[in-house]
Amino acid sequence: MIMGGNNKIIAFCCAESAYRAADRAGRLRIHYPDNVRVIRVPCAGRVSVLHILKAFEKGAAGVLVMGCQEGACRHLTGNIRAKERVKYAEDLLKEVGINGQRVKMVNFGPDMAQRFAREIEEMVEKIKEE
Amino acid sequence: MPVKIGIFLCDCGGSLRNIDFPKIRGNLAKLEDIAFVEISHNLCLEEGEKAIASRILREKVNGVVIAACSPELCEDKFIRLLEGLGLNPNLLSLANIREQCSWAHEGDVTEKALELIRMAVNKARLLQAVERGEVPVNKEVLVVGGGFSGMKSALELSQFGIRTTIMERESTLGGKLKELEGFYGLETSPKEMFSSMTRAIEEDKNIEVLTSAEVARVQGEAGDFTVKIRKGGKESSRSFGAIIFATGYRTEILPQDFELKPGVNIISQQKLVEMLQAPERLERRPETIAFVVDFSDENSRLPTLSTLNNALAVKEKLGSEVYVFCKNLKVDSEGAEKLYREARERGVVFLKFEEKPRIHGEDSRVKVEARDVLLGEEVTLLCDLLVAEEKALPPEGTKTLSSMLNLETDTQGFYQDENVHLYPVASGRKGMFFVGACRGNLDLSRALTDISSALVSVYELLSPGGAMVEVEKVKADSQKCRTCLTCIRICPHKAIRLARVDSEKWVAKIYDLACDGCGICTAICPAKAIKFEGYSDEQILAQVEAIGE
Repeated sequence: MIMGGNNKIIAFCCAESAYRAADRAGRLRIHYPDNVRVIRVPCAGRVSVLHILKAFEKGAAGVLVMGCQEGACRHLTGNIRAKERVKYAEDLLKEVGINGQRVKMVNFGPDMAQRFAREIEEMVEKIKEE
Repeated sequence: MPVKIGIFLCDCGGSLRNIDFPKIRGNLAKLEDIAFVEISHNLCLEEGEKAIASRILREKVNGVVIAACSPELCEDKFIRLLEGLGLNPNLLSLANIREQCSWAHEGDVTEKALELIRMAVNKARLLQAVERGEVPVNKEVLVVGGGFSGMKSALELSQFGIRTTIMERESTLGGKLKELEGFYGLETSPKEMFSSMTRAIEEDKNIEVLTSAEVARVQGEAGDFTVKIRKGGKESSRSFGAIIFATGYRTEILPQDFELKPGVNIISQQKLVEMLQAPERLERRPETIAFVVDFSDENSRLPTLSTLNNALAVKEKLGSEVYVFCKNLKVDSEGAEKLYREARERGVVFLKFEEKPRIHGEDSRVKVEARDVLLGEEVTLLCDLLVAEEKALPPEGTKTLSSMLNLETDTQGFYQDENVHLYPVASGRKGMFFVGACRGNLDLSRALTDISSALVSVYELLSPGGAMVEVEKVKADSQKCRTCLTCIRICPHKAIRLARVDSEKWVAKIYDLACDGCGICTAICPAKAIKFEGYSDEQILAQVEAIGE
C-alpha cells in the first residue's frame, strides 16, 4: 500500500546525533535511497504525535524519528519521550489500517553513518513489500 | 509586512555536479514571495559573503534561505554574517543540499534538492525575529564540599576575581586530604598540601568558608540561584550565580563480600594511615601486612591508588613485609604504573588471583588462602595485619541532593558522568557543575582537569556580569496556559517556573538563560501554549507539507 501517491520518508532527526550521522553518511559517500527527507529538530523529544500523523496525511509513506542513544540524550529524557510518542502514533495508525511498522523510533550516535543508511534502506524495503 | 525571501544556492565550487542549479533557480523563481534566487560558487569564502551582503542590503529581504552544505558547518558563519548586516539571524533557513543530498545519492538529485529548498522556503515564510538581550547574573559562586576539589576550585575561581563560598558539611575543611598518606607524582604530601591550601584560603579575600553547613534547598536558575543553607539548626538564604559540586566520595570496607568482620587484625586503609602517621604509638611492629584490592568491584581506581601509596609508606616507615592480593591491578591513573614499579622494586609482592581469597582469623594473625594463577599453586599467607578491600562510593546525601535538584546519577549513584553531551563537568542544569570524585572514581590529576573545565564554564557564564540570551525564543502564551504544571514537571533543565503575569493568574514562565532549547515542553503542552520559535508546530509542519507539493 503506497499512500498519497508518493513513497517519501520523513526522518525527524535530532540535531545532536542522527542529523550528524546523516551528514557523516554523505561525507563517507554511503549511498542510500533518495526518497528520504530529513527534518532537523533540536531533540527527538520535540517531535509530537501530531507531526507524525500530519506527515502521513501529507502523503509520506513512512516516518522515522531518530534520536540519541538511551542514556545519552543531551536533554536527558527527550529520546525516551519520543519513543513513547512513536508507540502512541503507531497504535493510532494501526487503528486506521496503516501498518505500525511505517513509523519507527531509532536511537543513534552521531558517528553511526552506516546505521543511518541501513535504517532508510530497511524502511524503503518495508514500503516496497506491501 | 509582506514576506520577501532571498534564496542563495551554493554549488560548492562547482563540485555538486548531480544537481542542475539553473533548473532549480527557474523552478524556485516561480514560487510566491521570492525576491531573488542567486547561484554562487563559494558562499563560505569571502567573495561569497560579500555577494550575500550586497544582495541582501540591496533587496531588503526579511527572510533568507541558503542552500549549501550542512548547517553543522555553515550555520554559525551565516548567523554572524546576518547579524553584521543588521538582519535578525532567526530569519535564516538552511537547506542541506550537499551532505544529505548531492553526496548521499548516486545519479541526478535535482528533484530532491529542489524539494529540500522548498522545505526551507516554507519554513522561512513563517520565521519571526528573535531579539538577543542580556540577562544580569550574580557573580558569586557556591562550592559544595570542602575537600581537595572544592578548595582548589575556590582558589582557582578567586584568581579570576570571582567571589566564592565554600560550604562544608564537616566542622573543618580538608575532606579526604586528611586521610591520605601520600600522593604519587606530586612533590608535596597531602598534609603539606592541606595546610598550604587552608592558609591560602584564609588569606584570600574572595573566599568565604561555611563549615558544618548543608544545602537545604535551591531555587532559581543559572545566574540567580537562591540557596537555603542549613547551619547549626538555622536556615539562611544566599544568592549565587553558579554552583560547583565537589562532594567527593566515601569509602566502605567490604566485609560482606568476604564474610569478614573488621577487627584488630583486619583494618581499613584509613586506620592504617592513622598507624603510619604515628608509628611510635604501635605496641608491636607488624611483621607482615597484606592488602586485598579489586575482588568485589572492578571499578577500583581510587582504592588501588591508596593501596599502592600505603604499601610504599609501610615499606618506608615500618619496614614490614608487604603482600598485595589483586585480580587486575588498575594503573590507569597518571603515574600509577611508575608507582607500581617502584613498589615492586622496594619489595612489595603482588599476587594475582582469579577468585576471591579465603580469609580466616587465626589467633592473633590472619590467614589468607588462594590459588595463584601465575604459579598455578595454592598460596597460604599468615599476616599480622590485613588491610581489607575498599570500595569508593558516592558520599551520603548524594541521592537526596540529586533528586532535590533534578540532577542525574549513574548506576553507581555518582553524579552522572556518562552522558556524552554533558561530559565532563556539566550537568543537565545550566550553572551547576560537578568536579572531582563526586562524578566517579577520579584521581587527583583527573580532578584537576575537571576543575579547569568547570572554571572555564563558570567564567564564561558569569564573568561579563550578564549573559546573552535569545529573548523568549521559547515562550508560554499566558492566555493559553492552563497552569497544569506538565511542562514544569518534565523540563529536564528545570528552566520553567510559575510566575504571575500582569494579572492574578499564575502561568508557566520559561527562563531564557536556563533553557537549553530542546522543545520537549512545546511537544508535551496539552494546551499548545508554548511556542518554540524556529521549531514551532507550524514551522515543522510547513516543511512536511513541501513533500506533497
